[in-house]
Amino acid sequence: MDGVSIEVVPGHITGIIGPNGAGKSTFLAVLAGTLPATSGTIIFDGSEITRIPAYLRARRGLVRTFQLPSEFARLTVLENLLVAAPGNRGDSLWGALLGPRYWMADENRLVAQARDLLKRFGMSAKESDYAGIMSGGQKRLIEIMRALMLRPRCLLLDEPMSGVHPRVVEEIQYYLQSLRAGGLTILMVEHELHLVEQLCDSVVVMAQGKVIGSGTMTSLRRQREIVDAYLVG
Amino acid sequence: MNTYYAANLLVYAAVDIIACIALNLQFGVSGIVNFSFIVFQAAGAYAAAVLSMPPDTASGYDFQIYVGGFQLPFPLPWIGGAIAGGLLSIPVGFVVLRKLRSDYQAIALLVTSIIANTVITNARPFLNGAAGLALVPQPLQDQIDPVSDSYQYFYIGLSALSVVLVWFVASRIVNSPFGRSLRAMRDNEVAASALGKNPVALKMMIFIVGGVIAGLSGAILVGFIQLWAPSVWLYPETIILFAAVIVGGRGNNLGAVLGALLVPVGFEEVTRLLPNQFDLGGLVITPQVGLIPALQWVAIGLLIIGFLWFRPEGVRPEPRRVFEGSPDPSEVELVSTA
Repeated sequence: MDGVSIEVVPGHITGIIGPNGAGKSTFLAVLAGTLPATSGTIIFDGSEITRIPAYLRARRGLVRTFQLPSEFARLTVLENLLVAAPGNRGDSLWGALLGPRYWMADENRLVAQARDLLKRFGMSAKESDYAGIMSGGQKRLIEIMRALMLRPRCLLLDEPMSGVHPRVVEEIQYYLQSLRAGGLTILMVEHELHLVEQLCDSVVVMAQGKVIGSGTMTSLRRQREIVDAYLVG
Repeated sequence: MNTYYAANLLVYAAVDIIACIALNLQFGVSGIVNFSFIVFQAAGAYAAAVLSMPPDTASGYDFQIYVGGFQLPFPLPWIGGAIAGGLLSIPVGFVVLRKLRSDYQAIALLVTSIIANTVITNARPFLNGAAGLALVPQPLQDQIDPVSDSYQYFYIGLSALSVVLVWFVASRIVNSPFGRSLRAMRDNEVAASALGKNPVALKMMIFIVGGVIAGLSGAILVGFIQLWAPSVWLYPETIILFAAVIVGGRGNNLGAVLGALLVPVGFEEVTRLLPNQFDLGGLVITPQVGLIPALQWVAIGLLIIGFLWFRPEGVRPEPRRVFEGSPDPSEVELVSTA
């Protein structure tokens, strides 16, 4: 990436579009800390987080999903969600050694929370199946639900609709809109331009590791070089 | 079967079970390929030995050179052994687990094992070098006659108690939300860290817990066999424990116990029964000295490859965690309620 500088407005859904190899996923990975930034700065909620490791960024509320399936294959679907949930007293060595009486109340609360999400995404029947045997679309949903379990303040979604059944796409769309209405900030890489148009308040166009334009989809469609580079068709 | 043979078999079984549970926590549950596991068992054994032995200037002990010699009463040497295993885990884990990718971690740990053995072998003033430590006092030997049957039962009981304690601790870890985070890290470290898990801290914690348990297993063993030398903790010993965990079933304590009983105990006992000579219809074949142990190693290797190829989940696969109230009614194990 070279000279990429964007600002994400709190409470908005910002889309990132661009051809394959534009650096969209790399950009998301750098923001989330799963790839190191060699230069530049990342500011999140007024604080610089450029050198902070990925797990601390996630704890601060900057949570990402992955372009490729990244489920915990030998954990069940429900366990995948529970892993992400903060605030479980059994999720430390000492808590574990103190035994179930110490953490069971937290566990029960989080299981109920996770089941609520599974129900919303129509995956209740799958909760006890291994995540590794789910379809590509179901894995995508697991990732989104997992990220939501973390109660993020800014969600970085890498092609969240890819491989997902059209009916579920609508469900995700509806859910993302309701999250935005609740004040959540979302930065989303997506190839489906009609979805970007429907969902995103503003859009950033990247090509060859650079930002070549930004604005609403309507305004971007008026810029010839962007239309030529990416929006043709 | 006489008492001494039974005691020997059962104490070794207990030591192997404890070691396999510890290795399972590190490798099966957390994905750390600890090829230096035996070093932590050795640390526990050496620590327990020098804590229980008199100084090397004492009469009867002056044929060997070693540090320490504190003559501490039981159970302090065992506790010291466990602590030594844990303490050693800190610098090793700090160097190996922070920056390296898991395959490089495995190589670094293997090298650590070789270096540690070479150093102890050659630094004689530290722990008597290649000759090792002998005449290690047995727990409570001044109160119960160590050559009596009752002492053998006593030692079996102590070992069994240790197995129960280690099982209890390991079960609490594996079946807790913390254990779930460890398994998540094992499956996908990058995704786990993107969800707020600190992989280095998780690895360090379980590495130290495993080191403590490994150290305890060494302390139990040295108290029974009364000697400890570099030749008993060469790096291939770790491979046997890995074979046990793979055969038994990774990621669950019961699998680790089964593996310990099947491989280090069962397998080695069975091969011990092989005859020294084979009579093929009048043609008597006497195998070369060392052939049977060599074949044992070949068999261990084949066992690992065979299981990884045909049954990678082991004899007792890691159970699926199903929560109460799950819509799937066909499940087998309840670990939590909701």
